Amino acid sequence: MKKGIIMIGLIISLASCSKQTDNTAAINTPVSSVTVNNFAADTIIGLTAQGIPYGAGKYSFYSVENNKTVASSDSATTKWDVGFRGTSIILNGGNSGPGLGAGFVYVGLYNNLNTIPADSTFKVDNAPSSYAITAGSNRGWYVYDAINNLISPIPGRVLVIRTATGKYAKVEILNYYKGGVTPAASASDAIKLTEQRYYTFRFTYQPNGTKNF
Amino acid sequence: MLKWCILGSILFFSVINSYAQKSDTLSGFGNEVVVTATKTERRLSNVAVPVSIISQKKIQQAGSLRLNDILQEQTGIYLTSGFGTGVQMQGLSPDYTLILIDGEPLVGRTAGVLDLNRITVGNIKQIEIVKGPSSSLYGSEAMAGVINIITDKPNKTTLKASARYGSYNTSDLNLSGSFRKNKLAYQGFVNGYATDGFSIRPNSVERSIAPIKRFTMQHNLNYYFSPKTNASFNFRTNDEKIINIISVTNNGLVTTSNGVEKNKDYNTTFQLAHRFNSHLKNTSRIYGTQYESTQNLLTSNGVPYTDYFKQQFGRIENQTDYTINDVIELNAGVGYTIETANSSRYDKTESTKKNQIGYAFLQSEWRPLPQLTLIAGARFDNNELYAAAFSPKLAMQYKVSKSFHLKASIGRGFKAPDFRQLYLNFTNAAAGGYSVFGTVEAQKIITQLNSIGQIASLENDFYKLGELKPEFSTGINIGGSFKPNNELDLTFNFFRNNIENLIDSRLVAYRTGGSQIFSYLNLKNAFTQGIETDIHYKVFNSFNVNAGYQFLLTGDKDEIKRIEDGKVYTRDANGFSRLMQRNEYVGLPNRSKHMANLKLQYEKNSAFANIRLIYRSKWVVTDTDGNGLFNSNDAFAKGFVQINTAVGKTFAKTLSLQIGVNNLLDYSDVSNLPNMPGRNFYTTIAYQFTQKNKK
Repeated sequence: MKKGIIMIGLIISLASCSKQTDNTAAINTPVSSVTVNNFAADTIIGLTAQGIPYGAGKYSFYSVENNKTVASSDSATTKWDVGFRGTSIILNGGNSGPGLGAGFVYVGLYNNLNTIPADSTFKVDNAPSSYAITAGSNRGWYVYDAINNLISPIPGRVLVIRTATGKYAKVEILNYYKGGVTPAASASDAIKLTEQRYYTFRFTYQPNGTKNF
Repeated sequence: MLKWCILGSILFFSVINSYAQKSDTLSGFGNEVVVTATKTERRLSNVAVPVSIISQKKIQQAGSLRLNDILQEQTGIYLTSGFGTGVQMQGLSPDYTLILIDGEPLVGRTAGVLDLNRITVGNIKQIEIVKGPSSSLYGSEAMAGVINIITDKPNKTTLKASARYGSYNTSDLNLSGSFRKNKLAYQGFVNGYATDGFSIRPNSVERSIAPIKRFTMQHNLNYYFSPKTNASFNFRTNDEKIINIISVTNNGLVTTSNGVEKNKDYNTTFQLAHRFNSHLKNTSRIYGTQYESTQNLLTSNGVPYTDYFKQQFGRIENQTDYTINDVIELNAGVGYTIETANSSRYDKTESTKKNQIGYAFLQSEWRPLPQLTLIAGARFDNNELYAAAFSPKLAMQYKVSKSFHLKASIGRGFKAPDFRQLYLNFTNAAAGGYSVFGTVEAQKIITQLNSIGQIASLENDFYKLGELKPEFSTGINIGGSFKPNNELDLTFNFFRNNIENLIDSRLVAYRTGGSQIFSYLNLKNAFTQGIETDIHYKVFNSFNVNAGYQFLLTGDKDEIKRIEDGKVYTRDANGFSRLMQRNEYVGLPNRSKHMANLKLQYEKNSAFANIRLIYRSKWVVTDTDGNGLFNSNDAFAKGFVQINTAVGKTFAKTLSLQIGVNNLLDYSDVSNLPNMPGRNFYTTIAYQFTQKNKK
């Protein structure tokens, strides 16, 4: 019997990134940290004649409030909080969406961020010139190793976000590759290309509107 | 006649130091003569800085062909791959070791690396390796140390030929000869080398080592006006032709380029030396060298590509050696250097970049007690293009007893910013269109681009761009030698190099469209420190064992401070960020903590056999945790052992045969040791024509 439960649990965690939490119970206490695996973010479907990889060009949306994937057809709603496309991360606010989304990249440890500092500045997206989650290698959440053609999330970076509905959450990007494992530097370009743009991230959502986690 | 021969054999820096050759009751060992450490002739046993010598015999018995072959078997030296084969000494990158041939510098570095493959060992009489800063005598680049290649000089009538053939269709031919007639002496040397190269990469058309043909010749002419005055003329040239098949993979799209790379070296020296009396000697030298590199490629999509680089270096120097008395000797020199460079990677190939340096150095050696030698020296380099450099040095040697000597030295070394760091104007269209601009160009170009709206953003580092300062190091070496008996000989040295103002590239701006622009800044402060030791043990007269070991620690001081301030993170097994600890810090990449070698040598009745082991412990190669510095959570290359072996015999003192196997264990590492071939074999035949020296 016990084995069966473990098996089912394993299947659920492997099969989906949406380990559903009970929303009603979580109204006044922050949900514990949830890890989302293999979240595909505009994976590469081809190369241009110049060798530049491209995907379908669409953002993949996630709702931290409901802990689930949101269809891209809902892009103009407040159903989603964070959008991922390649290394670009958008929040549902500014010119990215109709919500109250805003945020910034905090330098420090996820577990030590118990309260969002009072003097923090929440930025809104102003695509394409600036984003709340700063774009670019070694500027926001990731670093690009041009020699080995690999992207690594910078350790000690927390994405502090205001959701579409004005609540707060913290997000840590753990990995950018399929299965949560960065290919070895010696891996082939084919592997590096096909396995990238799969996010592993963890987040904590505070449903009560405070900045405390 | 004998006197003539001795004189002829010590041509370069031909300073007959009457003082050093006086009875030296404490010398005990180390009777080989070195010139590099003090710019004057000294017995090895009397030198106050760490010096090692590799003899012609050792080079031959190791079956070496190019300079890197023999250097890789020396303690504390690691050869780097990338832009040719460079030398890493005391943990410093190839940029910081000065390479000399007969006391004059070679030029033509690519990304700071002087490819040691350019130098054949066929006419090397001995290699002198001085460790620690030597800028007090040699100026720029002598930060980690100096490798001086002393070539054969005419001393009698000889004619030698040798031929070697081995794996990868590698052939090497040498012919050298010399003669003396009355006041004239000549030494000539030619070397031809060819290899098909090899490939250890399984899925690439590009070879690890491309097919190469090299041709080197050297001529040395001496004229002895009188026993006190001689003139010499030396000319060397090296031609390289490399067949390039270069495969660039950009996001999985493979572009192959075919073509030829040609590299040419010329070196010419004229020297006039005059000894006024037993106290005073003056030497004047004029040196000119040129390195020219042309790469012509045609890519598979039909686009031609040309890369051109030319560097010229001219120098005039006068050195005076004055022996005041048995206790004090002075060496003083003044010189002027002019250096130019042209490159297709600068703004225009036709526009010649130029730098001029005026310099003076003074060194005094004082022996207050028979067992104590003190050396103080300094050099001042006044540069046209960057700030002046002052390089002092102090050294001492104390002979505790006949069998135990101690040495200590402290000195400053520097490396001038090179033309690339000042003038590079390079945009890589293939790989995302990033650009690298030298500091002189960067501000100008970026400001101009900005004014026409082609710059998206300027980074903080853009505002720090300014005049580049030379990179400086302060090196401390403390060591000694111990020779209790005829069988055992032990040397050891502790070193510490504090390096300031290290130049590194930084992102300074983004173009509209996202392409990155890099330039150079004086950024880092680093250190290297360690222990080096060599033991020689004569088991029998015919059987010798040599063992060497280096322990090395390196680090970037700013990185260490960030770690200690709790600002550096890494990831745990779950991928969650955590603080990185100081003990996880590895330091500078591509450096092994432990390196060792062991050589067993048997020699009897003109036959020899040797087996040489080289060990290198793991080294960090990639920052996989993305925290911007190297730590124990990153990717390492595996440690390895390489074994080389050779046997040989000489018949009737004229005919020599040798066979050898390199990399006996067939070790290879495709990613991290691309220049290391698998197991390979060779055989050499050499003939020495009979010499008839007229009395």
